[in-house]
Amino acid sequence: MNRLEFETRAIHDDFLQGQSIKATQVPVYESASFSYDDAESIADVFSGKRFGYIYSRISNPTVTALERRLSNLENGIGAVAVSSGMAAIATAIFALTKSGDRIIAAKGLFSGTYYLFQELFQKYGVETTYVDIDDLDSLRNSIDNRTRLIFVESIGNPGMKIPDIQALSHIARESNVPLIVDSTLTTPYLLKSKEYGVDIIIHSLTKYLTGNGSTIGGAIIDTGNYDWGQSFSGNVKEISQKAGQYAFLGVARKQVLQYTGSCLSPANARQHILGLETLHLRMERHCLNGIKLAEYLSHNDKVRNVNYPGLKDNPYHSIANKQFSNKHGGVLTMSLKSQEKCFKFISKLSLVKNQANIGDARTLIIHPASTIFHEYSKNELQDLGIDDSCIRISAGLENIKDIINDFDQALKEV
Amino acid sequence: MKITISGKKEVIDTGVEKVTISNLLTLKNVEMPEMVSVELNGSIIAREDFSIREINDGDTVEFLYFMGGGS
Repeated sequence: MNRLEFETRAIHDDFLQGQSIKATQVPVYESASFSYDDAESIADVFSGKRFGYIYSRISNPTVTALERRLSNLENGIGAVAVSSGMAAIATAIFALTKSGDRIIAAKGLFSGTYYLFQELFQKYGVETTYVDIDDLDSLRNSIDNRTRLIFVESIGNPGMKIPDIQALSHIARESNVPLIVDSTLTTPYLLKSKEYGVDIIIHSLTKYLTGNGSTIGGAIIDTGNYDWGQSFSGNVKEISQKAGQYAFLGVARKQVLQYTGSCLSPANARQHILGLETLHLRMERHCLNGIKLAEYLSHNDKVRNVNYPGLKDNPYHSIANKQFSNKHGGVLTMSLKSQEKCFKFISKLSLVKNQANIGDARTLIIHPASTIFHEYSKNELQDLGIDDSCIRISAGLENIKDIINDFDQALKEV
Repeated sequence: MKITISGKKEVIDTGVEKVTISNLLTLKNVEMPEMVSVELNGSIIAREDFSIREINDGDTVEFLYFMGGGS
């Protein structure tokens, strides 16, 4: 070929293409689309006859690397990574429901999830019935022929309720509906979801899985426990005739993600992958700092109540021990005498950061009633198990002495 | 043996009598084997049967991806 012109040489170069570089870290394939040498090859990828990448809204090699690692950690059959935890929940619900269907969900869900179900899905004819996860009979009786899934959080945020996941999975199986568990607060390190009968796992990658408060992302993992050929979700059942066990993930990617566009950027995917590599170390420290902070707070005269499953008198202590291998996570709540006292206390903190997140390396704090749940009615707050004297804490990775010292000096000011 | 793979007629010669679906995936260097669905003579084969289900002369095999990047 004749030497190309300047402008063309500025654009075209096949450096590294096809070479095996053996880099130890996953490259960031910041490429919107992918080329093929011939029309037949790209046609085969479009028709599903051949594996390949077309357009990064649908799939991307860096994101695939993240999906594989997440699925591996959860012992799943596959994963779909998306732009946020909320996108993961929305994608899963879109894949399984249509107008006229029903969701059975735990009372006291994270506000984003509650509003997604209550405002958006409700508007389009998908109803949600909220049940007390401690009342399994009530949950069982709530399931009808319109029910398409059961949705719970592994640890309620911030109500701190913990469902008996094994019992829930039995109920779900009796009724042939999939059980979806948002395991953001537990991660695959604390909760072996597949072993407890969970069918679909949701993660906000933003939180513990990445661990440094840098990057927004979400993921859906199919554990392989559910037979999609028996599903009441018509779309998924139909696809299962060809896709078998990949039916749900196939619908999630090809019929929801592909057309709603809530894709994860490859740069974000790489940040999440880097975080996964130290998950096991960080979760140990979060749990250790969580229990030590909870014990300190429960002995402080200014603190009315501490809600942390690691404390022996907590109503969910036993179920947490069983499900999370005697670890209890890094999130806890505490109560002071009033909202005014909470605000003063938070303003006196120095090391601990007042912000809306959890699962960061930094210890974080927030007054939920005036922030995340500021639109909730008193009844809705009651369902959550919180009121305006409650503060949510996410214990970070700092030296516990420094964390406790900061709490101590701020509480003295109250 | 002569089989049809994704619409193309191919001769499979492994030097052994029996060829399972797992063997075929390795022989054909199928990408992302953990994500491929296999249709054998019009029926989707369960993943747990890949290592035991055999391919016979005249069979038609389709490799299908529902998790990849196509439409």
